[in-house]
Amino acid sequence: MDLRAGDSWGMLACLCTVLWHLPAVPALNRTGDLGPGPSIQKTYDLTRYLEHQLRSLAGTYLNYLGPPFNEPDFNPPRLGAETLPRATVDLEVWRSLNDKLRLTQNYEAYSHLLCYLRGLNRQAATAELRRSLAHFCTSLQGLLGSIAGVMAALGYPLPQPLPGTEPTWTPGPAHSDFLQKMDDFWLLKELQTWLWRSAKDFNRLKKKMQPPAAAVTLHLGAHGF
Amino acid sequence: METRPKVWLKDFLPEDFRRGSHRFGLWIGTTSAPVRYTAQPSSVTRLPSGPAGWPGRPWPGQQQRCAGRRASAAEFSVSAFPSQASTTSPSHRRPPARKVRVARSRLPQDPVRLPRGTEGRRIPVGPRSAKSAKQDGKLQKTSPLCPPPRFSRNSRPSALAPQLIHSPGPGRLGTSAPPSTPAPAPAPAPHTPRRTRPGSRSPSPAAKAELMALFEVFQTTFFLTLLSLRTYQSEVLAERVPLTPVSLKVSTNSARQSLHLQWTVQNLPYHQELKMVFQIQISRIETSNVIWVGNYSTTVKWNQVLHWSWESELPLECATHFVRIKSVVDDARFPEPNFWSNWSSWEEVSVQDSLGQDILFVFPKDKLVEEGANVTICYISRNIQNNVSCYWEGKQIYGEQLDPHVSVFHLSSVPFIRKTGADMYCEVSQGNVSTSIKGIVLFVSKVLEEPKDFSCETRDFKTLHCTWDPGVDTALGWSKQPSQSYTLFESFSGEKKLCTHQNWCNWQITQDSQETYNFTLIAENYLRKRSVNILFNLTHQVYPMNPFSVNFENVNATNAIMTWKVYSVKNNFTYLCQIEVYCEGKMKQQYNVSIKMNGEYFLSDLEPFTEYMARVRCAGASHFWKWSQWSGQNFTTLEAAPSEAPDVWRNVNSEPGSHIVTLFWKPLSKLHANGKILFYNVVVENLDKPSKSELHSVPAPAKSTKLTLDRHSYEIWVTANNSVGASPASIIVISADPENQEVEEERIADTEGRFSLSWKPQPGDVVGYVVDWCDHPQYTLCDLQWKNVGPNATSTVISTDAFRPGVRYNFRIYGLSTKRIACLLEKKTGYSQELAPSDNPHMLVDKLTSHSFTLSWKYYSTESQPGFIQGYHVYLKSKARQCHPRFERAVLTDGSECCKYKIDNPEEKALIVDNLKPKSVYEIFVTPFTSAGEGPNATFTKVTTPDEHSSMLIYILLPMSFCVLLIMIGCYLKSQWIKETCYPDIPDPYKSSILSLIKFKEKPHLTIMNVSDCIPDAIEVVSKPEGTKIQFRKSLTETELTKPNYLYLLPTEKNHSGPVPFICFENLTYNQATSDSGSCGHVPVPMKPPPSQLGLMISPENVKKALGKNYMNSLGEISAGGTNLNYVSQLASPMSGDKDSLPTNPVEPSNCSEYKRQMAVPLCLASPPLTENSSLSSITLLNPGEHYR
Repeated sequence: MDLRAGDSWGMLACLCTVLWHLPAVPALNRTGDLGPGPSIQKTYDLTRYLEHQLRSLAGTYLNYLGPPFNEPDFNPPRLGAETLPRATVDLEVWRSLNDKLRLTQNYEAYSHLLCYLRGLNRQAATAELRRSLAHFCTSLQGLLGSIAGVMAALGYPLPQPLPGTEPTWTPGPAHSDFLQKMDDFWLLKELQTWLWRSAKDFNRLKKKMQPPAAAVTLHLGAHGF
Repeated sequence: METRPKVWLKDFLPEDFRRGSHRFGLWIGTTSAPVRYTAQPSSVTRLPSGPAGWPGRPWPGQQQRCAGRRASAAEFSVSAFPSQASTTSPSHRRPPARKVRVARSRLPQDPVRLPRGTEGRRIPVGPRSAKSAKQDGKLQKTSPLCPPPRFSRNSRPSALAPQLIHSPGPGRLGTSAPPSTPAPAPAPAPHTPRRTRPGSRSPSPAAKAELMALFEVFQTTFFLTLLSLRTYQSEVLAERVPLTPVSLKVSTNSARQSLHLQWTVQNLPYHQELKMVFQIQISRIETSNVIWVGNYSTTVKWNQVLHWSWESELPLECATHFVRIKSVVDDARFPEPNFWSNWSSWEEVSVQDSLGQDILFVFPKDKLVEEGANVTICYISRNIQNNVSCYWEGKQIYGEQLDPHVSVFHLSSVPFIRKTGADMYCEVSQGNVSTSIKGIVLFVSKVLEEPKDFSCETRDFKTLHCTWDPGVDTALGWSKQPSQSYTLFESFSGEKKLCTHQNWCNWQITQDSQETYNFTLIAENYLRKRSVNILFNLTHQVYPMNPFSVNFENVNATNAIMTWKVYSVKNNFTYLCQIEVYCEGKMKQQYNVSIKMNGEYFLSDLEPFTEYMARVRCAGASHFWKWSQWSGQNFTTLEAAPSEAPDVWRNVNSEPGSHIVTLFWKPLSKLHANGKILFYNVVVENLDKPSKSELHSVPAPAKSTKLTLDRHSYEIWVTANNSVGASPASIIVISADPENQEVEEERIADTEGRFSLSWKPQPGDVVGYVVDWCDHPQYTLCDLQWKNVGPNATSTVISTDAFRPGVRYNFRIYGLSTKRIACLLEKKTGYSQELAPSDNPHMLVDKLTSHSFTLSWKYYSTESQPGFIQGYHVYLKSKARQCHPRFERAVLTDGSECCKYKIDNPEEKALIVDNLKPKSVYEIFVTPFTSAGEGPNATFTKVTTPDEHSSMLIYILLPMSFCVLLIMIGCYLKSQWIKETCYPDIPDPYKSSILSLIKFKEKPHLTIMNVSDCIPDAIEVVSKPEGTKIQFRKSLTETELTKPNYLYLLPTEKNHSGPVPFICFENLTYNQATSDSGSCGHVPVPMKPPPSQLGLMISPENVKKALGKNYMNSLGEISAGGTNLNYVSQLASPMSGDKDSLPTNPVEPSNCSEYKRQMAVPLCLASPPLTENSSLSSITLLNPGEHYR
């Protein structure tokens, strides 16, 4: 909220906006739909479920890669894997992001990660691993749809992928197998961090969208100024 | 993504060849140039032999001719070698290395095609390559020539031999300065070898121009001279010019870690093939560090570009390599002495410069090796200050330092770890932070196994089905290596087929004529190839199709014809078929039969009415390979007449005038029934008088029948019948005489569920013996069993599962006479296992005296017990410690002690127990015993012996009681007298005779005074000092006894406020009627109490209350005074008492005139009957319970 104390005009405007939006307040407007709240909750739940699912999948896959990738203290510098969207972001920067940006980043990240993950699935050697990966991909696709739903509910446009920038899985000849394994390692690691971050994002959003509903309206109204 | 590291030789196209030969022509033109200098033979050896400096134009007209001459010149060229050898610079001279910059571009890893003739053949890289290289290129290591190479363990040359690759680039050689080897003849002293630097190899441009000009001038002039002298001149030239490898070029293949050399041989005669040996030296890091020296022998053609490659065990990126080469002619046509050419200059091969700017590299890049291989890995660190640590499969490893930047790790005998490869990585760390990480994945493949159990067979002569055991799957993840492929190759037809399955493959037989096949199964992966071979005749590998249409014809009781068919696969192919006949799961018959197409076999010796299963399988008759699957069918033979007479026995009960004969028979076994038994025929024939035989037909399931026969001898025939016919008859004769039952029963000992019976042999002719018994003797239907024993036997053992422990079985042994008459010989009885008695006898105690009593249990049955009763145990418990004589001390199961007496005779069912003490308690218990033990525990019966004097008492008591009885009778009879004597009737004054006297004197005013008629005003009570209990009734209002001597009974003015008290005096000795009328009739006025008063007084509580303490007190005080009333004065009523009229007509109170002294009576006898006439209040007050407590 970017309201400042002493800004009487702002306060007045806010008051007017509150009154103006009063019919739109969910608590008062009982006839309308429930707003983005339930879909955010669903997205949050799905994120947590994916976090759980990834934990077992990553264990299996890293064992499949073998040491050092399955060693708990293996923490290599991030070389290569530049195309993977990074989940780590400075806390201040993250706080400064608005909901739209956050959701957009999430959506874009999972679009990319999903694509890489499908590549991972293609080259997995064991049928069981392929099944697990396919299942996870389906869940991740669901998450992507869920985020898109939340964005639509909040009135944000979906990010359009630029032509030609569509990430593709190209295991080029220059890519050594070790680097390939590193990429897989980082893919799973980033996925883990992204899910952790998304859970925080959706939790934050959920709290924001929940009553006191007036605050939500106030917030939306304040953006109008 | 690695591709298959296969190497194929380049296409050798005819077009190239033609072009090449055209250039050869050019070469010939130019190479012949030096011939012109042969005009000065002495100077020939000084002239440079390289024609390259002469880029002369082609001479079309001369090409063919020159070619012919060149060929002839070559024939002599080697003869000059010996002289050349002496002048050749020694091999140890090291010319300066010429650095070859190797482009980082990858060498094509794609397969290179082999030249024609060997096209399609793949030469795999790997363990085999070195071998093949040796074979093809006759490569030989000459280790004595070089110091022991540091990394020569796995280094191996892989010559791409035979090197017939025609290089398209001789033009370049022709146009560029030729890599002239030092000319042998003009070679200076050995210590000044000719330089090999390319820049200094060519003559100077000025000298070249001069030579060219000179050549142009004299060309035409000396041409004919040249032609005439060519032979001689060529010979001289050959003697002078050595065959030196030139144009050595080295390229690398990083993936294969191989150096690829190509060179040409200078001064080779035109169209001449020469066998040559090339010696190649390879150094690492610096030229002096020779790590490998080897010879490569091959046949060299004119102008041929030779190729040879060498595989390094150390990745080429890890160190700089140097290569040089020299040659010698090794051809039989040119005998010794040969001499080596000079070494070529060192060619330096360095890949490191093109790596890039990273700070760390690990080589080789991902590698595929076989299990057990040795792998060398190195890392290159740009900065020697960096701390690099390397890990193999998660564990740190330490290598050896090759130079300050490079460290090498040797992994020996790497095992198969996982399909996704094993990781080796190095990381550069600063502090604890890793700044860079590089690694490789080493893919270790399992060793491809040779296919096992490879065999092929056919079922229909159209397809061959080949199978094998593939062994381990060598597939690796990440598409590094797929599963091994299998290829089937047939050598006679030359056909090949790639199999799609890992363990079988089908091969179509296309030529009917081909009988013999030679199959090679080739298993192949990226690293290895293995093959197995089988050679077989098709007709020997026949796995026939299963027989079909199995049928049975002409089936009768004992035989059948079995028919079947087999698929016709080939003319005149004979099958061997095997038939098996099963009955009830067991194989009964087995036959082998040889057939062509339709099989038929006669099955005999079958049992009638039996279900059989017959099956057949076939195999090739000429050469057994494999049986087909079984094909079978069930069939049942027809019925036949029963083959054996039923086993029949009888039981005869003799009744007056008749025999009740029960016939028993055993069902025929399946073997003898030969069908389903429908009924049994019983024919009875009287033997004593001729009569018609009787036929009884008994339906099949029955196993017995009952006949009533009169007292004649009868012969009974029993036959079993099925649908086909009757069995032989069993004959039994029933004698007219009743059966002798007077045979003593013998006991037999039990022997673990079996009975061993023996008997005395029957005198006379006996056809056999029969033992019968009941399986369930305890039931009415006792299930008679019998056993036939031969005539010579005198014993048998009966054993069946039906025998139960504790059951008595009775056996009868009969002898069968020749007339088939059974005669009872012996009876046996016994238990399969004796048990302890199940119950104890009911015991009776009688004849009880003070010293003895008699026990008896005469109703106890010894027969129906689960064992033979051998006797009884009598247990006696008493307080006495000593046991009686005959008794012995015993301890019971509960630990208590008692005395035991044993009776050994089971029929002795009584015992006199004597020597007892009088007036004592004895506990007694009787239990039978068998060989298995005693009966169950039960409670002891208590017997108390009477007192010794009790009889005397009886003697006294009886007369006494008799006397009493007599007295009582006497009393009864004399009751009147007694009454009169003891308690005479009190005379009734009303009935007294005095009244009549009075009436008689007519004194009407005289009457008998009734006590109620007068109202006493005072009663004087005379106290007695001993205190007599007085029944005293007084007014309720009178609460004080201040004047004990007088009771004021009349109401006074002052105390008349409450209810009127009244008092009744009763003379209880009076007649009841009289007293009644008088008791309550004397009621003062007012006579009737008000209802309220009545109600008040009726309530017992009120009465109690009212009486309460006062009354009790008064009573107490009064009672304290005395216990007997001394006298009661009686007032005689003047009126005669009519009780009916009393209440209604109360008499007027009159003055008391008379008192009559009365006899005092005890109070207890004075219970006055209450009547309805009595005053209610009086009733209430006179509640005796309240008064007398």
